[in-house]
Amino acid sequence: MTTLRKLLLPALALGLFTFTAPTFASGLFQDDEAKDEAQDEESEDGEAAADEDEGDKTFVIQGADIHTGTGAVLRGATLIAVNGKIDEIGYDLALPEDAEILDATGFRLYPGLVAVSSIGLFGGGSPIEDTVDPFSRTMTLAVAGGITSTVQGSEVAKLKRGHIKDIVIGSRPLQSMSYSKSSPAGKRSLREKFDGAAAYIREYKQWELDVRSNKDLKEPKKSGVDSGALSVLLGQARALFNADDRTDLLEIAKLAQRYEFRPVIDGCREGWTVAADLGRAGATAIITPRERRSQDESIMAEGGSSIENAAILYASGVDIAIIPGTKGVSLDGIAGRDIMHLPIEAAFAIRGGLPEDAALAAITTVPARLLGVSHRVGRIEVGMDADFIVTDGDVLHYATFVQWAVIDGEIIYDKEDEMYFAHIRPRPVTELAPVDPVDAGEADADVVEPPADEESDDEDADEEPGDEPDGSGDGEDGDDGGTASR
Amino acid sequence: MILTSLILAASPALVPPPISDLYAIRARRAEIGNGEVLEHAVILVEDGKIVTIGEDLPIERGIPVIDLDDEYTLMPGLVNAYSRTGLSSQGYSDSRPYIKASFEVGLGASFKSAREAGVTTLGLYPAGRGIPGQAVAVHTAGGSDPILADSVYLKAIVANNSTAKRYIRDGFEKADENAKKEAANKEKYDKAKEKAEKEKDKDKKKAALDKLGEYEPHEPDPRGQVFQDMRDKKLSALFDLDDAAGYLHLIDALGKEKIDWALRLTLSQESNFYEVAEKIGETECRVMVGPFLTLHPGTLRQRNMPAELARAGAKLVFIPRNDSTGAHQTWLRDVGTMVAAGLDRSAAIQAMTLEPAKLMGVDDRVGSIEVGKDANFLIVNGDPFETATEVEAVIIHGDVVHGEIH
Repeated sequence: MTTLRKLLLPALALGLFTFTAPTFASGLFQDDEAKDEAQDEESEDGEAAADEDEGDKTFVIQGADIHTGTGAVLRGATLIAVNGKIDEIGYDLALPEDAEILDATGFRLYPGLVAVSSIGLFGGGSPIEDTVDPFSRTMTLAVAGGITSTVQGSEVAKLKRGHIKDIVIGSRPLQSMSYSKSSPAGKRSLREKFDGAAAYIREYKQWELDVRSNKDLKEPKKSGVDSGALSVLLGQARALFNADDRTDLLEIAKLAQRYEFRPVIDGCREGWTVAADLGRAGATAIITPRERRSQDESIMAEGGSSIENAAILYASGVDIAIIPGTKGVSLDGIAGRDIMHLPIEAAFAIRGGLPEDAALAAITTVPARLLGVSHRVGRIEVGMDADFIVTDGDVLHYATFVQWAVIDGEIIYDKEDEMYFAHIRPRPVTELAPVDPVDAGEADADVVEPPADEESDDEDADEEPGDEPDGSGDGEDGDDGGTASR
Repeated sequence: MILTSLILAASPALVPPPISDLYAIRARRAEIGNGEVLEHAVILVEDGKIVTIGEDLPIERGIPVIDLDDEYTLMPGLVNAYSRTGLSSQGYSDSRPYIKASFEVGLGASFKSAREAGVTTLGLYPAGRGIPGQAVAVHTAGGSDPILADSVYLKAIVANNSTAKRYIRDGFEKADENAKKEAANKEKYDKAKEKAEKEKDKDKKKAALDKLGEYEPHEPDPRGQVFQDMRDKKLSALFDLDDAAGYLHLIDALGKEKIDWALRLTLSQESNFYEVAEKIGETECRVMVGPFLTLHPGTLRQRNMPAELARAGAKLVFIPRNDSTGAHQTWLRDVGTMVAAGLDRSAAIQAMTLEPAKLMGVDDRVGSIEVGKDANFLIVNGDPFETATEVEAVIIHGDVVHGEIH
């Protein structure tokens, strides 16, 4: 049902607006997919320009089970990133020369996690690129938790440790609004804003039609129109409501359906009691599964929090994003409740019945979409940014550690290099450490060796690259051998 | 020279032994300041300048000779390029790059504490936050004219906040504006002049030209002017950083501007400059640091940041632990600790003598024992980096200004 709606809405919007006003549609009424394509093209152009200046920077990770975030899992596959973008995913790929190769055999690869809100991961200042501390402990710990992109203030940015440039990937994705029974005046005011914005859009469309026949007609005035409500109705930003109470949730659902926008509801603790209504309104819920709320005993209806909240909402077609209760990195109190435990929080939704793929989506694709950056992060797909994490197990399992985090095709976190978790279940160094850039044939030479004896195998692995200068001829053999050994 | 002697003689606190205008010093061991050590050194001093230097040179009869004890070390007078010794005024908290510390250096400024610790040259910086202004290099002998060179560097503080970056960007923007306004001004004048030249009537032409007068350049914005001076390499910058992120932000703020700059890194308990040590080293810039051993963040593992930076390729410039008299007195010993902890000895010597002199652009006069330079010496009674070693005498411009020489 969700998919259907997703497909229908932009299609409708496109059909309607392109028909009446093609120029308008390409600018103001641009839908997500069109935007994606436009930005993809831009970035490709940019890459092409960069290619001419200097050689391609290629990063290869091989042997990992690639969880693409779209449902598919490619076991023991190879991913090639060129200049920070995913270039190829698959098997028996020809590895470019001079590529940096990371052997992650036995590990899992997931899209870098996306936190739908955060505090202080970049240092707290604004603008991020002028204030970020890319060496801070907070950032390192957040990355150790698997997060590669998040939002701070009005900027969406990557936790690209050691870098301050080209990390901001979006801005002002969500439009905060209030619609609560505690403030009837506020509710009226918001309705008036939407009325005004809707009227303006109607007038504008009419003017666009009329101006073709009568060039003297003046463009309708934008003054007095609430820019927030307008951007929501135009689909440029999603409306964000902070609501837990079932009455408020119902009212928001009604408001959204009346003005035809898809609300984002942060909190949504009683959402499970009105899940069908929220589903019909096309809502997205930002949920903290562990957060509790007691039932209002003065109301006859069901209420309070439920561990099944996420599962029930999801079953009703509500998109789920998950975020821990503490939005910053917290080193006090009980561990496991702050932002560096984002996957653990998602695991609590699984406990309540949310399917595992939906739980993964709740910390990758859904928040990426909410933040307006789904064309760059959140999935492992050709053309997307090469942002991913390599883990030693299911990312949603409590025993799992992030071994490497990669942003824009660059390793920006290695568990063994940071003091925080290096001592816990250290990685066997000889087999799985990142190897220096080597020739494609030589890299495979390691794999070809039949694992007869552990020790001698290691020695071979160390010596082989030096002993075989003409490795290119063995490349194909190597590939075959590699596949066979799996 | 005479003036200095007179003033020194007048001061009862100092009793400089009279040395003739021409004398020689013989030392078993002399640190030249450029990293080299000269054994059995003979140095000839005339009128406060070093005129000859060599190994086991014969000394002409009649020239007074100072024979240092065998265990003594002769070295250049120390250079502390970052100090407020003798100054006291309050600074501003914003960007005032045109302010000069030399305004504060009056007759009254006393550098006695620094001098007695063996520091013969000081770089005095203006107080304040943001971009407080330009430093001045002085010798510490006292007297009415202590200034060696003015505007030796511009001090600018780069914390990783947007304000610091804005100050730097604004400065260069103002320099651009100055250039633009000047160009417009000149164009306007040239056009007017051209018009006047074309006038056929001689009297009218003369009147018009008289009215126009000589070309007067546009009055530049003083902030912008300072940044233009840096572009023209007339002035270098010393950027204060307190963490690794600051370095990235500095490079970002500078953009494509090509200026001479050095860094001053504030080492705290858990400094993370090692994150950018390689990058800093690649630029081969001068890096001013205090002699501190730091800890790797979150651990008790010691790190020798100065040594790491030196190994990465940066040129070290040491300053005392802080600006107090005590820190000046223990400066050699503190740097000795860094040497004991793995810092290259020759880099350490240079970091207290020649490198700070180069940073301030006064290495033609001070910083090493070389022919033509000021006869500024420090005589210590042993290895300069040994704990028990003490300052025996300090010589500035050939005069003993502290201690005694037998």
